[in-house]
Amino acid sequence: MHGALKMSAAVGRVLSQQMRQSLKVLKSLAGKKNRCFSASVPIPKEGSVSNNEQKSVNRGKSADPLECRFMYPEFLPDPKPEYRNSLREKLERADMMARRSKIDIPEFYVGSILAVTVSDPHAPGKSNRFVGICIKRSGCGLRANFILRNVVDNQGVEVLYELYDPTIQKIDCLRLEKRLDNELLYLRDAPEEYSTFSFDMEPEIIPEGTPVPVNDLKVTLKPQPWLEKWERKDLKGVRDIVVNQKREMKAKAALKPWEKYDLMKIYRETIPEEEQKEIFAEVYSDLHNLEITRQKMKRQRTFIRPKKSG
Amino acid sequence: MFHGCRQLYTIGLRFQSKTHSRCIGTLTKAEAKKKRNQLYDEELKRQRAAVGRIEKIDVKYHGPTEEVILAMNKNLSTPHDCAKHISEGLTKVAALALVNEKPWDMHRPLTGPCDLTFTTLKAPNISTNRAFWRTCSLILGAVAENAFKDDVEVHLHSFPAPSIKSGSFISNVYLNLPDWQPTVPELQAMSALFVKLILRELPVERLVVQEDLAIEMFQENRFKIKQIPDIAKHNENRITLYRIGDHIDISKGPMVGNTSLVGRTTVAAVHKIQTDEGENLYRFQGVAIPSGILMNSFAYGLLEERAKKLNNVSWMPQRIEEDMEEKLTIAAQN
Amino acid sequence: MNQANVTHLVSKLKFNIRPTPRRLKNKDGPPGRVLKIQKTLTALFEYERIELFYNRADEVRGYAERLISEAIRRGPEDHEMMDLANFWIIRKEFVHKLFKVYVPRYQDYSIAYTKLHKAPRLYPGIYYKRAVLELRGNPYPSIEQRNAHSNVLLHNLLLSEARKEYRMEKYKEIAESMNEREVTSQ
Repeated sequence: MHGALKMSAAVGRVLSQQMRQSLKVLKSLAGKKNRCFSASVPIPKEGSVSNNEQKSVNRGKSADPLECRFMYPEFLPDPKPEYRNSLREKLERADMMARRSKIDIPEFYVGSILAVTVSDPHAPGKSNRFVGICIKRSGCGLRANFILRNVVDNQGVEVLYELYDPTIQKIDCLRLEKRLDNELLYLRDAPEEYSTFSFDMEPEIIPEGTPVPVNDLKVTLKPQPWLEKWERKDLKGVRDIVVNQKREMKAKAALKPWEKYDLMKIYRETIPEEEQKEIFAEVYSDLHNLEITRQKMKRQRTFIRPKKSG
Repeated sequence: MFHGCRQLYTIGLRFQSKTHSRCIGTLTKAEAKKKRNQLYDEELKRQRAAVGRIEKIDVKYHGPTEEVILAMNKNLSTPHDCAKHISEGLTKVAALALVNEKPWDMHRPLTGPCDLTFTTLKAPNISTNRAFWRTCSLILGAVAENAFKDDVEVHLHSFPAPSIKSGSFISNVYLNLPDWQPTVPELQAMSALFVKLILRELPVERLVVQEDLAIEMFQENRFKIKQIPDIAKHNENRITLYRIGDHIDISKGPMVGNTSLVGRTTVAAVHKIQTDEGENLYRFQGVAIPSGILMNSFAYGLLEERAKKLNNVSWMPQRIEEDMEEKLTIAAQN
Repeated sequence: MNQANVTHLVSKLKFNIRPTPRRLKNKDGPPGRVLKIQKTLTALFEYERIELFYNRADEVRGYAERLISEAIRRGPEDHEMMDLANFWIIRKEFVHKLFKVYVPRYQDYSIAYTKLHKAPRLYPGIYYKRAVLELRGNPYPSIEQRNAHSNVLLHNLLLSEARKEYRMEKYKEIAESMNEREVTSQ
């Protein structure tokens, strides 16, 4: 397995493929329990979610290059001025496009379920497949990465994959959806059922042109102790966080209600529109072509030749 | 720099055998200079003594913030003396005085009650700039005279009216070198001499003398002897002399008050020119900017490049106008 | 190494911003900083030109520019924009001024909306650097003093003449090349 290994119990244990396969049935049962909707019901119940952050993107036809920023956030450079270097950024983008022309990196978001196959010299068959929910995306340029989480053998397993890692053989998006938060790190303190997914999950197909579904599933956390002070994080995907009075008061004191108005803070965290336009104008046509070929491939895969009857 | 000077001297030696003396006088260069200065000093003393009883005059100084009335001495006090009463800073930066709105040398005695203002090179008017350019020509003449060894005959011919637009100040000098092309180190050596003279911070003195005295002073210089009667004819038989250190030359003036007002400077080129009389004259050309004005070396390099071209003050502007007309007609045709 | 935030789309500011914010030291901490900025920003929108300490002026400049650029982007109908304006501008009348005066004024600007001048320090007095912060296009006379003599300064005369001569040469070259072309075409 490639990347940093994170386990909720802080035990770096690599499971062999056979063991996982033997557990398949068990996990798939557990996984289906908390599934909000299945492939047959693709349109999500967006309901109360009117947050600006949860802008739904029409898949497949991102007519505006600027809309690419949701789908390909790693193409935007780090906004910190000391890390900016226009030449390096340009070269990195070229390298990223070169890698994308070799393997198909699908569209996915935090909350999507992915299957990643990596080369592993020690694994039987020389490759290793891991399925899990994406709980975090970070890094930009060639260093973009994401963390997949799953529960295997009653043991939480998290793997950090680098998106443009040359050892990655294949990335499949098994279920394309978004969740209410930008990071799902709280799943580490949530019951196992919320982050348990079967390794032989079938990819779910969403019709073209529909917006990315938003899963408004709300989890309840396990009792304390927690890894982080979740009550301070303003989490939308967590139901009733109950803490004692002292912690509550401290959380109240730590509130920063002015932060959403802090225009310069926002500015320093983003890449301005003009620069984004420049960046995506450079890669838009290539990305668009890749998207079209991917959709063609998908259609070919889903097409089942009718059998001759009789 | 010394290297360059030595080269200049060797050039002088090389041509020594070929020189045919056409205007060698009875005196050597240094003796002639000494005599000239002696005459100048005597005349100055005489003029001072001729003032007689000292009369007081009211000089009204109009400064940017204040107005001062100074009681000065008639025919003795100069604008420079007035500036000394006002402030030391003003004494250093004042380039040209305006007496009753007319340009007046810093070292020219005031002749009556007047209004006085000063112009500097950082806030100049046209006459200040022209005076600066003229002073640079005068200094260039001094440099040309001192640069060569005694064997080389050097006679200052003239310097025409200053034309800043032409890009260089000039000084026409007769040398008895038949075909002299200065090398770059030689030009650099001359620039260094120029700078040396500036750094001595010499006042530019002015004296008006009678025609016969002027002829006596410039006896060694056959060009000046020819010019002096012409000049005197238009100027009531009087000649205006300017002196920097021990260098004396004829000029209409006005000049700026001190050589320290010249900042960055270059002797850019020496061209050989022909006069109507068929004399072999050399035209020394240079460029300078006032002290206190800092200039990018690239921009200054452009000025230097321009100053290297032969400066033909008299017909240069006409040619540009002709060009303009030509261009316009071409544009009209197309 | 972080990913850029993609939820907000902002216009680029036309001046160089500091990579880190200033804390604007005060006894109330971060809320006090925000209050300071609110006060100064309101004053700036009221008077259009204010003199203050350099640090605070530079800090407020970014907020003023961002607020105007957001107002131009979103307009007064946007609730979030109204929230923002109400938060930063303490007095209501200047919210109106923002949308009615500043937005039309700065709509077609391709340069920064504000200008920051370094001002002389009082002596003897507090050592902090001072500055004048102003909105561009204000009705006051310009704060910058041009050298009235700049076009008669000797080096400027020389340079302008050199430029003219260079142009003449170029024109001449062009004319010559044109003539040559005519000759060849005939």
